[in-house]
Amino acid sequence: MTDLEDTQPKPENKKDEPRVGVYVCHCGGNISDVVDVEKVVAEAAQLPGVAVSRTNMFMCSDPGQKMIQEDIQKGLVDNFVVAACTRSLHETTFASLLARNGVNPYLLEQANIREQCSWPHHGQEAATAKAFTLVRAAVAKARRLVPLNPVRVEATNCALVIGGGVAGLRAAGDLSKLGIKVVLVEREKELGGFVRRLDALYPDEEPATALLSRLVEAVRTDSGIVVHTNSEVTGIEGYIGNFTAQVRKNSDSKAGEIRIEAGTIIVATGFRSYQPAKKELGYQKLSRVVTLADFNELLVASAGDSAVLEFEGKPVRSVGFVHCVGSRQIEGVHKPGENGNINRYCSRVCCTATLHTACRLRRRFPDMEIHDFYQDIRTYGRGHEDYYEQASKSDVIFHRYRAESPPRVAKAPAADEYNLLITVEDSLTAGEEIEVGVDILVLAVGMMPADNATIIDNLKLASSSDGFLQEVHPKLRPVEMAVNGVLLAGACQAPKDITESCASASAAAIKAAAILRKGYVELDPYVVKVDLARCEGTGLCVEECPLDGALHMVGEGNERHVEVNPAICNGCGCCVAVCPTRALQVSGWTLDQYEAMVDAIVADPVEVSS
Amino acid sequence: MSETNLKAPPKILILATSSCGYTGADATGQAHLSYPPNTYIIDVPSPCVFPENFYYRCLERGIDGIIVMSCGVECPFEGAYERLAAKLDRVSLGLKKRGIKQGRLKLCSVCTVCTKAFLKEVNEMNDLLIKEQEESS
Ligand SMILES: Cc1cc2nc3c(=O)[nH]c(=O)nc-3n(C[C@H](O)[C@H](O)[C@H](O)COP(=O)(O)OP(=O)(O)OC[C@H]3O[C@@H](n4cnc5c(N)ncnc54)[C@H](O)[C@@H]3O)c2cc1C
Ligand code: SF4
Ligand code: SF4
Ligand code: SF4
Repeated sequence: MTDLEDTQPKPENKKDEPRVGVYVCHCGGNISDVVDVEKVVAEAAQLPGVAVSRTNMFMCSDPGQKMIQEDIQKGLVDNFVVAACTRSLHETTFASLLARNGVNPYLLEQANIREQCSWPHHGQEAATAKAFTLVRAAVAKARRLVPLNPVRVEATNCALVIGGGVAGLRAAGDLSKLGIKVVLVEREKELGGFVRRLDALYPDEEPATALLSRLVEAVRTDSGIVVHTNSEVTGIEGYIGNFTAQVRKNSDSKAGEIRIEAGTIIVATGFRSYQPAKKELGYQKLSRVVTLADFNELLVASAGDSAVLEFEGKPVRSVGFVHCVGSRQIEGVHKPGENGNINRYCSRVCCTATLHTACRLRRRFPDMEIHDFYQDIRTYGRGHEDYYEQASKSDVIFHRYRAESPPRVAKAPAADEYNLLITVEDSLTAGEEIEVGVDILVLAVGMMPADNATIIDNLKLASSSDGFLQEVHPKLRPVEMAVNGVLLAGACQAPKDITESCASASAAAIKAAAILRKGYVELDPYVVKVDLARCEGTGLCVEECPLDGALHMVGEGNERHVEVNPAICNGCGCCVAVCPTRALQVSGWTLDQYEAMVDAIVADPVEVSS
Repeated sequence: MSETNLKAPPKILILATSSCGYTGADATGQAHLSYPPNTYIIDVPSPCVFPENFYYRCLERGIDGIIVMSCGVECPFEGAYERLAAKLDRVSLGLKKRGIKQGRLKLCSVCTVCTKAFLKEVNEMNDLLIKEQEESS
C-alpha cells in the first residue's frame, strides 16, 4: 500500500515540489528516552519530498532554532515539519522563526511526538514506530501546505457600547480618550445603572451620586461620545470592523429607529437582581420583608439625623439580614426560576454589601438590635473584611444557617415585642433552633444575568451554564467573546462589584482601541476558499452554512458561483462537506491534506537503506 | 483490510477537535497515563468538514476504527455539532449497509481535561477491534 501515499493532489500553484525539512526534537530526554529519535530521523529522510531531516536536543532553544534558520538561509527547505511537543506550546516559537527569516509562517506543520507519543507510550519499538507514522503524516500535510495571509478587513472607527451603568460609562470614557468614537446606548432614561439605587459605596464610602456624576459628566461633555438614552438595541448584524446595529429610541419626543455603524461592540448590560419566589422567606407576603436595595433606599429616605428609623409609621428596633437569597442554591431545596435553572453560583457582592449596610445602620442607630443570618462570610476583596470585623465588634449578632434549612419567617403573634419571628437552626450554637424577633427582614438578593436575548441571538454569543455572558478564556482572554470584535465589560459577565466592573471595562476599552486604531483588522486565514473552476453553482453550501452572510451566490447561468465573506466565515467546514465537486476548502485544513495524512498513517513501514 | 493489517494491531484514527478532544489527548499524555500506541490523532478545528465518503475512504484504505472526539454541545462553531451528529448517524447506517460493524465509527465528546473519558473511548475501541480481529482470523 506504500504507493498510496502520493495519490493525493498537491498544490498546483507551485512550479516545483516543495522541499520539506523535518526537525525531530529530543526534548532533553522527554522524547528520546522512549522514542529512538535517530531512527525516526533516518526513516523520515527516505520519505518522498523530504530534503533534510535533522534532530536537536532542544528544538525550541537557540541552537535548535539556529539549525532551522541555517537551512532556510542556505535555501534547502521550503516547507517545515517540527516533530516535538504539542502545537499549542511552541507553534508561535517556530512560526515566528519562519516569519523572521522571510518564510510564510503557515508553511509549518507539527508532529506531536511528546504529549501524544513519548509520554503516554512506554515500549520503545512501538513508540518509535508511532512517532515515525506521526512524522510521516505531518510530512504528507506539509507537502500540501501553501502560503497563507491573514484576512484583512477595514474597520469603522467607532465602538458601540451597550449599557450605560458604571461599566459602560467607564468603557466609553476610556475609549474616547484613546481616540475612538463611541456610541453609548442605554435602555433607561438615565445613565448609571444599578449604582443609581445605592448610597455610600464600599470600599471607600464614596457617595454613589459623586461617583456617577463624575462618570456621567465625563461622558456627557465629551464630543467624541454620542449618548442615546431611552434607547434599545433591536438588532445587530455584521462582523468585526463592520457591525450595524438597529436602535429604537423610545422617548416621546424623539421616537424612531436609528442605525449605528461600529467596528467593535462592548456589551455592558449589567445584571438584574434576583426576584425571590412568592413567599420565599416571607417576601411579598409580609410587607416587612424587603430586599437590600429597598432597605438602602429606606435608609436614604429617612432623615439623616433622626434617632429612630421608622417603617410603616412605626419605629424599627430590630433588623435582620439574610445572606445568599437566590444564590448558592441547591437542587431539591430551591425551586428553579423561570428559566428552569437554579442559581448555583455565589453572587460575591452581597456579603460585603450586607455587612457594609449593617455597619452604616449601627453607626446611625447605636441601640438597634441587628441580626445577620449567613451561611459563609465571603468578604473577599481589599478592605471588605474590615466591614465584617467592624460588624462583629459592634454587637451585630451572627447566626449561621445551612443551605438545606434556610431561616423560616412568620408574622409574630400580636403580643410579641417585634413584628416578625425568624426561626433558624443556628450552627454556631450546635444546630439549636432559636427564635429571633425583628421589625424588618432584609434579603441580600443575588445578581442574575441581564436579559440579553436580542444581543445573544443576533451575534451568536456564548453564555455560561449560569446564563452570564462567557469570555473566550478566563485568564488568557478575559474580556473577549468568541465572536471577534465583541468585548465584555462589567457585571454582564459575572457578579462583580464596581471596582471589578470598571477594571474589566477599562480592559475592554483598550482591546477595542487596539482593534480599531489601525483602521483595519487581521483575522486568521483559516476560512473557506472557493475554487471557481470547480464551483458548479449548486448552492448546497449556502443552505448548509450556519452563519448568515458567510456565503452567497453570485452570477447567472453558467457563471453562477458562490462567494465567501472571509470576515464572517469561521471555518467550521460544514459547507466543505456538502460541496459535490470539492470546490470549497478551509485554508490550512483542506480535505486533500487530511486524506494524505490518513494515507500516510495506513502506509506500510519504510525500509531504511544504509 | 489487507492481510498484513489483520496481524498487526488495529489502526485507530482519532479525529480530535483542536479546542476539546486534541487538548484532552494532550492532557492524558501530560499526566503520563498510558494507552495503546496504535492510535493516531489528527488535529481538526471542526470535524464537520468531512463529507460522509471521507469515513468510508478511511476504512477502505486500512483504518480499522475511527473515533471522532468533538466538543459536543460546547462546540465553538455555531450549529456545527448538530450537523456533525446527524452526519455520523447517516454514515453509521451506511456502514451497516456495507456490512461493516457500526462500532468501528464512534462519536464522543472529550473536553480539555477529560483524561478518563479519553482513555475509556480509546480502550473500548481497541478492545472491540481486537475482538473483531480474533473472530475473523
Ligand atoms: C444591593 C447591592 C449593593 C451594592 N453595593 C456596592 C458597593 O457598595 N460597592 C460596589 O463596588 N459595588 C456594589 N454593588 C455592585 C454594583 O452594583 C455593580 O458592580 C455595578 O452595578 C455593575 O455595573 P454594570 O455597569 O456592569 O451593570 P449595571 O449597573 O447593571 O448597569 C447596566 C446598564 O445597562 C443597561 N442595559 C441593560 N440591557 C440593555 C440593553 N439591552 N440595551 C441598552 N441598555 C441596557 C441597564 O439599563 C443599566 O443601566 C452592589 C450591588 C448590589 C446588588
Ligand atoms: S520544542 Fe518542545 S519538545 Fe522540543 S525541547 Fe522544546 S519543549 Fe521540548
Ligand atoms: S457573597 Fe455572601 S451572601 Fe452573596 S451569595 Fe456569596 S456567600 Fe452568599
Ligand atoms: S466554513 Fe462554515 S461558516 Fe464558513 S462558509 Fe463554510 S459553512 Fe459557512
